[in-house]
Amino acid sequence: MSSFIGRRSLSSGISLIGLIVLIFFLSRLTGDPTGLYLPLDASLEARDNFRVVHGLNDPLIQQFGRYVADILQLDFGESIRKARPALEVVLEAFPWTLWLAAVTLFCVTIAAIVIGSLAAFNVGGPFDRLSGMLSLAAASAPDFWIAILGIFLFSVNLGWVPTSGTGTVWHWVLPVSVLFIRPFGLIMQVVRGSMINALSSAYVKTARAKGVKERSIIFVHALRNAMLPVVTVIGDQAAGMLNGAVVVETIFGFPGIGKLMIDSILQRDFTVVLAAIMVTALAIFLMNLLIDLLYAVLDPRIRY
Amino acid sequence: MQNVIKTIIGVSLLGAAISSAYAAGDQDVRIVLNEELDVVEPCMAARSNVGRVILQNVNETLTEFDAQQGGLKPRLATAWEQLDESTWRFKLREGVKFHNGEELDARDVKFSLERTVDKSMICEVGVKYFGGTEMAIKVVDDQTLEVTTTPAQPILPLLFSTVPIVPDSTPRNEFTRSPVGTGPYEFAQWNVGQNIILKRSNSYWGEQPAVETATYLFRSDSAVAAAMVQTGEADIVPNIAVQDATNKDTDFSYPNSETARLRIDVQVSPLDDRRVREALNLAIDREALRGSILSADVIPATQLVVPTTSGYNKDLKVWPYDPTRAKKLLAAARADGVPVDAEIKMIGRTNIYPNATELMEALMAMLQDAGFNASMQMYDVAEWNGLFIKPFPEGRKPSVLQAQHDNAKGDAVFTAYGKYHSQGGQSVLNSAHVDELIEQATSASGENRASLWQQLFAEVNGNIIADIPLFHMVGYTRVNPRLVFEPTIATNSELQLSQISFK
Amino acid sequence: MIASTLKCARSPAEALAPPRHPSVAMLKMLWADKFALAAAIFLLIALFCAIFGPSLMEEAATKLNLRDRNAPPFDTERGWMFVLGADSLGRSILARILVASQNTLLIAAASVAFAMLVGGTLGLIAGYSGRRVSDTIMRLADVIMSFPSLLLAVIVLYMLEPSILNLVFVLAITRIPIYLRTTRAEVLEIRERMFIQAAQVMGASSARIILRHMLPIVIPTLVTIGTLDFAFVMLAESSLSFLGIGIQPPEITWGLMIAQGRAYLNQAWWLAFWPGVAIILTTMSLNLLSGWLRIALDPLQRWRLEMGGNNNAN
Repeated sequence: MSSFIGRRSLSSGISLIGLIVLIFFLSRLTGDPTGLYLPLDASLEARDNFRVVHGLNDPLIQQFGRYVADILQLDFGESIRKARPALEVVLEAFPWTLWLAAVTLFCVTIAAIVIGSLAAFNVGGPFDRLSGMLSLAAASAPDFWIAILGIFLFSVNLGWVPTSGTGTVWHWVLPVSVLFIRPFGLIMQVVRGSMINALSSAYVKTARAKGVKERSIIFVHALRNAMLPVVTVIGDQAAGMLNGAVVVETIFGFPGIGKLMIDSILQRDFTVVLAAIMVTALAIFLMNLLIDLLYAVLDPRIRY
Repeated sequence: MQNVIKTIIGVSLLGAAISSAYAAGDQDVRIVLNEELDVVEPCMAARSNVGRVILQNVNETLTEFDAQQGGLKPRLATAWEQLDESTWRFKLREGVKFHNGEELDARDVKFSLERTVDKSMICEVGVKYFGGTEMAIKVVDDQTLEVTTTPAQPILPLLFSTVPIVPDSTPRNEFTRSPVGTGPYEFAQWNVGQNIILKRSNSYWGEQPAVETATYLFRSDSAVAAAMVQTGEADIVPNIAVQDATNKDTDFSYPNSETARLRIDVQVSPLDDRRVREALNLAIDREALRGSILSADVIPATQLVVPTTSGYNKDLKVWPYDPTRAKKLLAAARADGVPVDAEIKMIGRTNIYPNATELMEALMAMLQDAGFNASMQMYDVAEWNGLFIKPFPEGRKPSVLQAQHDNAKGDAVFTAYGKYHSQGGQSVLNSAHVDELIEQATSASGENRASLWQQLFAEVNGNIIADIPLFHMVGYTRVNPRLVFEPTIATNSELQLSQISFK
Repeated sequence: MIASTLKCARSPAEALAPPRHPSVAMLKMLWADKFALAAAIFLLIALFCAIFGPSLMEEAATKLNLRDRNAPPFDTERGWMFVLGADSLGRSILARILVASQNTLLIAAASVAFAMLVGGTLGLIAGYSGRRVSDTIMRLADVIMSFPSLLLAVIVLYMLEPSILNLVFVLAITRIPIYLRTTRAEVLEIRERMFIQAAQVMGASSARIILRHMLPIVIPTLVTIGTLDFAFVMLAESSLSFLGIGIQPPEITWGLMIAQGRAYLNQAWWLAFWPGVAIILTTMSLNLLSGWLRIALDPLQRWRLEMGGNNNAN
């Protein structure tokens, strides 16, 4: 097990470095940020000065060398946009995203497992049909649609929760609800699908033949074996959420990493983009590691 | 993050009193801006959101431009005079204190000016208003200073209405994150990502304003920001989209000093033919766009400066909608061998103003109806910049480019050079006559200056037809009915809390 | 009484008898599931629109009429073309949805198919082959997952012209990991099952084991995810358009219509609503059909459909 973790860390480290190199060079191909930061009327001289101050005039290779040298001293560079250390900017935003993702996924997982299992238990039955259609319709509706309708219904008309922003736990209700919908549809479908497989497999039939209660068949015998693909999908959804929830963050004024990333990309604030990717990639690598370890726990036949 | 944990713990205490948890106190206002501020550095106040928080609230300027009446008002300077062509003397107000207790004196002003134009700082104010101007600043005594510029700057007092004054204890080579000024409000708190809080200062030299604290919140979505006033979560949203301005009692339109146009690339055939450029203008039905895609309050434009600008040429007439004549002009040009059927690319910028894409779609349909082979393409800012600002791409195709220009400062100099001088950063013109007019006007003053600017616009928009001028635009502000606040043309660049009172 | 019992007893027997032709049997099974039937009909209509819509409706979909701006739906005065209302430039929403179906379905189908193919293949390889290959592929998935899709879109569409093909490329790449990881997870589990090990012992080649024994088990899961992904891709395309880096006017897609309708959600809900409904209906139809297909292709479950419509009543 520990050799697995060591090997995994090494290969993850290598791919992280590859990712950074790739993004460093590719992102510079998207154009010069100078025009975005200076007023339109800035003179050519002022533009040149901007490039010199931010080191954009040097050859790309030289810029990269400097970047690597700085990284080795844990200096992730300065954000052009915010005029402060890029890592600081990212670490301010990341916890918000982490919390949002954690709360949402917690709710999603529980709801999806319960409803998905019940649906699988009576395939083609009314509950199966209804839950399938509703979750599917909700998951394929545009999220900003649901977000804005939610604000108008629950904040403006009913006055139950604040429209947006942060501060109290009530502020989290709408963003989490909106974020909940899509992964719920997907995960529920996967739970249902693999539960159907599991319920028709030999060991469940054996359990049934032995006279084990139906409820414990679902939640003990079948579920455990159905969890493998479910865990995978949850992991994928979590990875997506760690990259931030742009629409939700934008609409609800939530200071997470999705909005930061999108603004930094559109503003060509390369240092922040890189720092953000390093932080989220690290989180994603860690999570994928966790998921692979979970596989082994869930299915003793899988060894590393 | 601690806040989050704290709030999660504190839920039970909140109980049923949700609404009171986010209702503002009596003398407090909450203002919703469309983007979080990246910086709060006073010398970046030329950016509109920084200006709305900082300008004249936290940091004041020497002079203040009266955007409605025109003309300059004293602020931190009480008087100024021109000593010779290139030297100005400013007298400072006495008894002004910074929020940190220091007295304002001439050394602070000298420090602020030098800091603003410092190359290593790259201040928006410096780059935008002082590019190409060298300043030598002499402190005469505590309340007096003399500024000599090369080249001579006849509108120096106007330029100084853009420079926020900071104490000389402010960091010299980096942006401050806790600005100190002389204004009626102290910069109290910045919870990054969440809000900025200003508190009323006790030591302000002027009249004490009504608002006690101001909290700035950030929401990019106009519908949400507008809804926040409805629920009582906010008091002022300086900028909502026209389609969200649905309530006459709370939503006010104001001229936002922006002028929308399409820049015609006059150097590329067939757009190098004046008849084709005239036909472009005649093909646009400006009235049909008003009150539909754009607000009913926008004013059809003839030139790039707003009517209150000194140098505005009121003799220019709005182009009529005359597709028949446009077709005739095109036919005449075609007969002379001008390739009028070449594809004309309409270069747009996503979200340059509300409904920008729809406007371009409508304009494209109008040009096509008049017989142009027009196609459109929307770009994001970075790409659009590459097409708008010199150096222009090699071997470019005929194009018209969607642009918008903001000049709230009352003088055409902030427009003319960059847009029309052959050396200007976004200029496609190459006319000796235009260059000469601009250079003469820049160094002239008074009546003569205004008249030269008028001649320039007659030349550029009447004779050459370098643009398709569209509209002088308006913005919409939503104001909570408990406040008395009226947006003005200045609301695009500043939002003085002292102008707000309570009913 | 006796007759009806006889009848009931006969039908399963009939179903078990060899059908005249496989496609007839399939159609019969489709007829048996009314939901799937409706879904199939809807998809056929969508396909028809995608192929013929642009040539039939182009004119109505692009004709500007600022006076009818944001005209409400179900207003008979303007004729049936405006039954769904008009958009912010006074164009018929119905016509635009029909025309946009071509680009939309093309982009979504191509992206999902490409991602499924590449992701599924890599997942099978990663699950079945040795540790080194598997690790390499999984780290590749990690890299793609950590690469923000928006950045990828900006890079690709900035360097190359924004075109449908490039957009498909961007959307497909970002969706590969989900197929890859799911496939691998399933394969890891299947690999340990008895019949696979039996096949290995009997000397079956790896290719045969993967294609004949593993693929049929993996495919239903992939298809389930794929149908959901169809909606995801259409909406992702919508958000790219909204940010100004995806499909841009005058091209139309459902996603773009939604993005443009966003600003009017408060005043003219129908601008974003109808294209949203089109996306939802397409996704649901695909999902129903895939659910049906899953049963129809599974020898153990097929009886549910062959029993006839009776089974659906429960």
